[in-house]
Amino acid sequence: MHVLVLVETVLLAVLTVLVAGLLRAYGTVLRRLHQLDGGVQASASGPLTFQVEPAPSANFGPAHDVAGTSLAGEVVSARVVDVDHDTVLLFLSSGCTTCLTFWTELAKPVPLPPRTRLLVVTQEAPAERPDELAGLAPPGIDVLLSSQAWLDYEVPGSPHVVFVEGASGRVRGEGTGQSLKQVAQLLAQATGDPAFVTGARAAKPSRDAAQEAAVDRELLAAGILPGDPRLYGEPS
Amino acid sequence: MTAVAAYGLRVELPRAWEARLYRRAGPLRHDGHAEAYGHPDASVNPVLHLANFALPPGRGDFGTGAVERMGPAHVFISLLEYDRDEAGRPLFAAAGVPRPQVTDFAPSALQRRIPGQLGCQRFFTEGGRALCLYVVLGSRRHAGELVAEADTVLAGLEVSAA
Repeated sequence: MHVLVLVETVLLAVLTVLVAGLLRAYGTVLRRLHQLDGGVQASASGPLTFQVEPAPSANFGPAHDVAGTSLAGEVVSARVVDVDHDTVLLFLSSGCTTCLTFWTELAKPVPLPPRTRLLVVTQEAPAERPDELAGLAPPGIDVLLSSQAWLDYEVPGSPHVVFVEGASGRVRGEGTGQSLKQVAQLLAQATGDPAFVTGARAAKPSRDAAQEAAVDRELLAAGILPGDPRLYGEPS
Repeated sequence: MTAVAAYGLRVELPRAWEARLYRRAGPLRHDGHAEAYGHPDASVNPVLHLANFALPPGRGDFGTGAVERMGPAHVFISLLEYDRDEAGRPLFAAAGVPRPQVTDFAPSALQRRIPGQLGCQRFFTEGGRALCLYVVLGSRRHAGELVAEADTVLAGLEVSAA
């Protein structure tokens, strides 16, 4: 009799653990489904986290050419689709606090892969104040005012970054971040191209370049970007 | 097909071609070659830039800042308007938008000589307006195809009467 009670107690304990485990797993699944359904809203205190991911281009939507005006008043039609260059579209505004970090960083040379163009896109008046933008935009940075581009790319807010592959005319990644440097690192990880952090490199013999590219891919896959302290070993 | 229009100029853009149309109020900000970027007392006539590559900001009227970035398969076109009272004068005696042929291009016609590039410049009057067409080809090797591309663009150019 005592043995039977003991066995039943053990079985009950095991079943309790199993049920608890199942409930926990069920809760996790529900939370994930809620996230996928867009149930997680941006917190009022900060921007959304970056959402660029190393996914095949087929997972992203088609891109659109950008038409608008420059800060100097030029009427501009900038090609993004079906061209031999790629484009980083950086959607900024004059009012958002995080954007100020981006405007400041744009004053320094922005590292980009070869045949990649950076276009800063803002909304037009009255949603945006061109006089304030003129004070924020550093010389040499291509700033286009195009509310249509914000609609075309369904920009949820600023700052927002979209990377477009010119040849395929498709978006290869998009998201946001706290700084241009952070976005560059995530773009490097998403595309497997460290030039978003290092800039275009000098020409090298093809064997050296291929070997270097293979090493870069391995490091990026491990989440190690240019400048990572782990590349330089432990301080002595 | 995309079109750009302002200041009495309109152009249809074929695939991969982009445009920037402006009327300069004063010199642009630049990093050098101040003389290529206009002067404060210069006329404020329209300038149309067309290219089958990414046009950078801060270009000179004749493409300084852009032509240096051209590859062998690229074409740059600048259409500049001069003051209306110049229309019909000897320099602008030719009538209608020119359609340059391969034989019209030469390195000596470049505003700024860059190895491999060819240029062509024509002054003309259209719709009572005095204009200059300046075309740069990225390479002699592709000249035939590039001139054909430029010709397609120029076929879609409309100049409204003054």
